[in-house]
Amino acid sequence: MIRRPGPRPEHLVPAAALLLVVIAFAGTPLVTGTALATFDVYNALQGLAQIGLLALAIGLTMIAGEFDLSVVGTYAVGGMIAVQAGQSSAVLGLLAAVAAGAAIGAVQGGLIAWLRIPSVPVTLAAYIALLGLAYALSDGRSITFTNREAILWVDQTVAGVFSPRSLITLGGFALAAVVLGTTRLGAELRAIGGDRRAARVAGVRVERNLVLLFTASGTLAALGGGLLSFSFASANPDPGLRPLLIAAVAALLGGVSLAGGRGTPAGLLAGALSVALLAQIVAVAYLPDYSTQLFYAALLAVVVAVDSPGLRRTVARVRARTRAVEA
Amino acid sequence: MSAPTAEPAPGSEPLVTVEALARGFAGVPAVRRVSFTVGAGEIHALCGHNGAGKSTVVKMLSGQLAPDAGRILLDGKPVALRNRQAAQRLGVALVDQELSVVPALTVLENMQLGDIDAGFFKRRRAALRRCREVLDDMGLDRVRPDQPVAALSMGERQLVEIAKALSQRARVVILDEPTATLSEAESRRVFAAVRRVAARGCAVVFVSHRLSEVLELCDTVTVLRDGRDVATRPAAGLTVDGLIVTMLGEAPHRLEATRRPDPDLTHALRIGGLHVPGRLDGFTLTARAGRIYALAGQLGSGASDVLRALAGLHPQATGSVELRDRSVPFRDPVGAARAGIAFVSNDRKGEGLFLGKSVAGNLVATRLDRLGAGGLVGAGRERRTARSLAGLAGLPADRLADPVLALSGGNQQKVFVGRSLGRDDVHVLLLDEPTRGVDIGGRAAIHRLLRDAADAGLVVVFASTELEELLELGDVILTMRDGRVVSTYDGGANGAALMRDMTEGKDAA
Repeated sequence: MIRRPGPRPEHLVPAAALLLVVIAFAGTPLVTGTALATFDVYNALQGLAQIGLLALAIGLTMIAGEFDLSVVGTYAVGGMIAVQAGQSSAVLGLLAAVAAGAAIGAVQGGLIAWLRIPSVPVTLAAYIALLGLAYALSDGRSITFTNREAILWVDQTVAGVFSPRSLITLGGFALAAVVLGTTRLGAELRAIGGDRRAARVAGVRVERNLVLLFTASGTLAALGGGLLSFSFASANPDPGLRPLLIAAVAALLGGVSLAGGRGTPAGLLAGALSVALLAQIVAVAYLPDYSTQLFYAALLAVVVAVDSPGLRRTVARVRARTRAVEA
Repeated sequence: MSAPTAEPAPGSEPLVTVEALARGFAGVPAVRRVSFTVGAGEIHALCGHNGAGKSTVVKMLSGQLAPDAGRILLDGKPVALRNRQAAQRLGVALVDQELSVVPALTVLENMQLGDIDAGFFKRRRAALRRCREVLDDMGLDRVRPDQPVAALSMGERQLVEIAKALSQRARVVILDEPTATLSEAESRRVFAAVRRVAARGCAVVFVSHRLSEVLELCDTVTVLRDGRDVATRPAAGLTVDGLIVTMLGEAPHRLEATRRPDPDLTHALRIGGLHVPGRLDGFTLTARAGRIYALAGQLGSGASDVLRALAGLHPQATGSVELRDRSVPFRDPVGAARAGIAFVSNDRKGEGLFLGKSVAGNLVATRLDRLGAGGLVGAGRERRTARSLAGLAGLPADRLADPVLALSGGNQQKVFVGRSLGRDDVHVLLLDEPTRGVDIGGRAAIHRLLRDAADAGLVVVFASTELEELLELGDVILTMRDGRVVSTYDGGANGAALMRDMTEGKDAA
């Protein structure tokens, strides 16, 4: 009997990535000679807070077969609005940032869904426009955040290793996991990403879901940007492309595919954690800063190769051959 | 044939009424005027030759296309089926011709996908139980609800899709070619399930090319031809032959192949035991240069897989291919092309032309290496070559600079075919549906092109589902079904015989 190779296990990539990085993290004392402190874990989670929501935003759009390049723009605008509106009330600032992010996402989602424009040109244009908006809002300068209470609050330690900022980030992942896991939306998003025609024929409201998706992605990016600028006590009109690239690496390590249809919030969290831990390993081991990039590249290469169809096919072929020889 | 009784059995109210539906595409009518009714509990077949308008009627009935004229009534009330959701809300379930289960999702997720009855939150336990029942009903006891569909065979996927449609609380179930990819035993399961659904009081619309299947399963048959309903009859009094005559219209025997004398050329292409897992089972043919070989087969028959395997597009194919006594590396497209095999796909947009580029650019696209030296292409030679190819292919010379996108379907196809003409290193020309989406004038011109190519010493092999084309063009016609050759006609074929072999196989009643 011919056995068809099964589909790739969805959690293989994120589990492999996280496992590799956790082992490396646990092994750092062997190199540094000093034991790991809870402070190191706290710092890793702070790193997660910095890129986690961005990775979640991009990852969710990738599951549906789209790609939201505008998240960094929304991240910058969200940070700017949170600082400007939050000088007296931090909550008000975050709410304003989130509302702006949702609106930015909804407009883009509408263009992508109803005018059937591919997401890359739409979100690329939006990214550039949003950078312009962030400059306009700030006159091109960094804006200092003077709400001391909020600055101290977002990064205070909770239970040794957490902070309100990392807890909110984890909450974002938990919410996404619950929504995608317990409602029809999860399956519908993967259906839209996996086979859009089939989803449409099955009666999935593709357009409405795309608008919801981009609204969610804008909201998450703006929230991440707002929290970051509280933590830095200033908002920067141009965060550069680094956050986008790192978030994309985290999403790929999280098991989503550029072709769409694959991935879960749990996987995305594992991907984002891997990236954050890797940065922390570099910091703990006093390695030069540029080595972080090299590690990211190496981890991505290894994990993607492990999961590659070519490798799987070769393995399957070798197995079939050895079996044929045995028989 | 018995007396026409278009009305449903007395006492049963027609559940579905289709009234004078019409729909065209870009000015070309696909459905001109189609009316029929389906009562509750009735299984109603739509039959017709390719292009008769069956799929367009199905699309209108399932909410995927809006009619240009006419209306659809459910329970005697006119309804607007604006999209799939609207149709589903009115109780219209569909098994699409193309597989529309999503491989990335599990069986259960697919069952629930788009189900308007399912709530916003997933209720797992009840849904699992229900899914299990539905799968067992369909004989899929080895399939688990939490298994990804990607792990199932094509036949199993098709059964899951049918199970899904039948499990929805639908009053109207449309099945468009549900058994094209299924085995005999699997088809039996589907029939039993369809009968159960009808017994529940559903109206079932069943579209199939397999006519004996239609006669076995259905109560009533409506035959479409050229976008019109030409007959509605109870299935009980019909025979396969009678149905074929009705589908083809006036005396199909007039369509007879004209056989050309054998050209005195040595064997050119030898195909031995060509096998593609799940698609093609041992195809053997020795094709002489100068003749045109026609592969007649419906979707899933393996006809187009023969061509794709020869063109190197089925890497898992096995068997042997020899061209002029030399073995052809047919598992990769570049090797096949080097050996002199040119392939014209049935998907000229996806696998053929560069739509945004000019006619000239497309004509020379596969011979750039012969138009210059050192990786540079000589503009003058490119222009001259394009002009001569346009002449060969019968394309107007003043349109060479136009983007292919702006051409009619017929001219686009001429560009696609023209690309493989006029080169001494092409020995075999393979064409999948050479005149799909081409008007009558363009069709005749393309047929002439292929005949000229054969006369120039090429082996021409094409696959088609159109009887007229098969009979007009094929010197030798091979009918195929379920991945095997059913019959070979070296002259003496006629429309009815071809149709029977393609749809029913050799041993049909």
